[in-house]
Amino acid sequence: MQVIESETGIPRDLPEAFTYVESSGGIEAYRMKSNDLQVLLLPEAAAPVVTFMITYRVGSRNESTGLTGATHFLEHLMFKGTERFNKEKGATIFNVLQRVGAQVNATTWLDRTNYYELLPKEHLALAIEIEADRMRGARISEEDIESERTVILNEFDRGENEPIRKLYHAVWSAAFVAHPYHHPTIGWRSDIAHVTAEGLRHFYDTFYWPNNATVSIIGDFERGEALRLVEAHFGKIPAAPAPIPEVYTDEPEQRGERWLAVRQAGQLGSVMVAYKSPAALEADADALDVLSVVLATGKNSRLYRRLTDQGLTTHVFASASRFRDPGLFYVLAMLAPERTHEEVEGAVGEALAEIIETGITEAELTRAKSQIRAEEAFSRDGPFAVAGRLNEAIAAGDWKLYPTYLERINRVTCEAVQRVAREYLVDERKTVGHYIPTMEA
Amino acid sequence: MPTSSETRTFADRVQERRTGACRLLALSTPVRDVVAMRGSFKVYPDFAAGQDLVQDLTTMLLDKGTRRRDRFAIAEALESRGAQLQFFSDGLRVAFSGRLLRDDLPEVLAILAEELTEPLFDAGEFEKAQAQLAASLRRSMESTASQASAALSRRIYGKAHPNYQPAPEEDLERLAAITVDDVRRFHAGHFGANELTMVLVGDLDADAAEPIVRQHLGQWTPGAERATYAEHPEEEPPGKSLIPLPDKQNVDVRMGHGLPVRRQDPAYLPLFLGNFILGGNFSARLMSVIRDEMGLTYGISSSLQGITVDYEGHWQIGVTLSRENVRRGIEATRAEVQKFVEGGATAEELAEKQTTVTGRFKVDMATTTGLAAMLLRNAERGFDVGYLDRYPGEVAAVTLEAVNEAVRRYFHPDRFQLAMAGMLPQEVAV
Repeated sequence: MQVIESETGIPRDLPEAFTYVESSGGIEAYRMKSNDLQVLLLPEAAAPVVTFMITYRVGSRNESTGLTGATHFLEHLMFKGTERFNKEKGATIFNVLQRVGAQVNATTWLDRTNYYELLPKEHLALAIEIEADRMRGARISEEDIESERTVILNEFDRGENEPIRKLYHAVWSAAFVAHPYHHPTIGWRSDIAHVTAEGLRHFYDTFYWPNNATVSIIGDFERGEALRLVEAHFGKIPAAPAPIPEVYTDEPEQRGERWLAVRQAGQLGSVMVAYKSPAALEADADALDVLSVVLATGKNSRLYRRLTDQGLTTHVFASASRFRDPGLFYVLAMLAPERTHEEVEGAVGEALAEIIETGITEAELTRAKSQIRAEEAFSRDGPFAVAGRLNEAIAAGDWKLYPTYLERINRVTCEAVQRVAREYLVDERKTVGHYIPTMEA
Repeated sequence: MPTSSETRTFADRVQERRTGACRLLALSTPVRDVVAMRGSFKVYPDFAAGQDLVQDLTTMLLDKGTRRRDRFAIAEALESRGAQLQFFSDGLRVAFSGRLLRDDLPEVLAILAEELTEPLFDAGEFEKAQAQLAASLRRSMESTASQASAALSRRIYGKAHPNYQPAPEEDLERLAAITVDDVRRFHAGHFGANELTMVLVGDLDADAAEPIVRQHLGQWTPGAERATYAEHPEEEPPGKSLIPLPDKQNVDVRMGHGLPVRRQDPAYLPLFLGNFILGGNFSARLMSVIRDEMGLTYGISSSLQGITVDYEGHWQIGVTLSRENVRRGIEATRAEVQKFVEGGATAEELAEKQTTVTGRFKVDMATTTGLAAMLLRNAERGFDVGYLDRYPGEVAAVTLEAVNEAVRRYFHPDRFQLAMAGMLPQEVAV
């Protein structure tokens, strides 16, 4: 046993298998010496439940043409089981976990895949055992792939039913031509229809290793006990035999405005105006976050007042994506009846130009920071909400983005917001998409 | 940092206070700074006369200005504190929900009371709300899920039942005829402290919260008008409703029938567990067979819908199917449901779902918002707080015989109504 001073709240009985790395915002980071697995612990005994989550640093960002959707396909197959947990034994992963009341699922996005269990605290060991077991023991059989393929194609078709989703993907695809953020996480339909067991197995064998994963445990648990359980189950797994491949494709510099339209049967149109924005860990991303709140959070936001309150739109959103690589800052506006795309796009443009020219007020900055601060306080309400935010920080490249987020936001000034508006919200970085309903649905 | 999980019962922990017209339930939890608020009151709209849309508009306008402050001043008071306050129109009730930092409770409750009792109902804001609601109805016309569910409800209920969902086209027509005076009249006649309940959960002290609630809502008087509503389903002969929608490769299918059951009936829990075994979660029969084994769908579930202590609801199977799998998917679903109803659940299945439901109950209460929602739902049903302590035991005590008896008695796939929306393949579109 390695003894650590307890003044910092770090356990004295830290198992030998781990190195303590650092702490931030009550979250402690450890590393498993044998295989480089990152472990994050956030003890919060507010309710007798715990969230166990494993985040793999692989997402659709790691896919190439022909294998698009592979990460998501694999996420589905991970529920088909292992030699220990499977249908033939009457013990599928869902059966075993849901039997004890666990909320269990997984999600895939651009930079990561996460699997999680929110469950009564006495069953933490079960979640750890299952996640460790399927890290290297997933059955990826031809038969399972074929039955799951049609499931995923139905999931794809459900998404295609939604014009706003199609518009969102179309804008990303137009904005990114070389970088893999070009393709939707679910993949292109033809790739889903043709991907092979060999391709998926190769993907699994490349990315599903302890040194490409972070385990997070949040809620009511005992630290030393939790680490010993992680050691017992993950300690047996070696690090990847080969280096995890890096994505080296940079999106070439955009040199002019891009425009697109999505035509689909429906009722009311929408407009998406997007600009290339910096990677999640850049300080400029904080100022853009504040800008998105000033623009579209609450009834006093600029776009609400200019668009929704004036009857031009029914809803308007603004968001600065915080991904590992540069992404998009965007405004999405849903048209009110009898309004045109042109007038809505024009009004969005005027609101943005105003900020570029005259910036935001101190009152707006203060309000935006209050809104963000409250949002952060509410995000600590229960282990599941914390896990969701921590997951995105891990995916972005540094889990500490979550606990240090408020400090970063507090540093943002009015000048910084105007500067990022001037730097990023320019025509050279712009992609505009219109969803145009083609007929009465 | 909170230090320990709470082990005392709800009956011990929840502070119940009568603050004039408002029943207050307060629960202190070891979360920092945050308070979750939930509440509701009954408004009794006349569904047969289409008053549900008037209720929707009235609710939408509550945060669009009061006689004392305009909409932006109210928004500023909330947003500068990072607080949120929202209103929902939900059948017989109007509900509100908020989240706030502990120290902001007095100001947020003052705004809540002002919005509920002194809304401005400005004519210009009314027109905007009307356009917003029209847009929302038009967007629902392109949603296969909304269209299929609403079409099923029209086969099961009459217009006076709270669960009846008119066709969006019909709603649009009625919406256009509503005036701001209708809204004002509805608010004057129906809004008030009818079974007004407020739940506060989080970093709070019930003794400190009580006078604040009393000050702002304690004097609110009940609404005078109470329209009647249908309490039972009123089904058409078994049949199907088809809603063809262009450009929708995924077809949403709903099948089901009315259920002569209310939430407080002894049959409810056995039936709930029986339904859960069939289609309550990922490991239930429908997902296991139709998705996992046959690969026909991304999502299939069965549920008891719209059942309250006040009126009966229905049983519903929902499945999404890509166009090429519609016929096969419906046949396979019907066959699986039939097999379940004929053969019943097994002891193993029941034991598994009982622990699922009781475990999930515990997990759902891991957040202040989850707790507040559960406490309000329980109070709306007229159940005492102790029911939440007894609930896991009641679930565990349900026998296999009771489940299978309820399944046989209440589930009748031969009486299924069918509704579907999307690009319908030729073989089903007749």
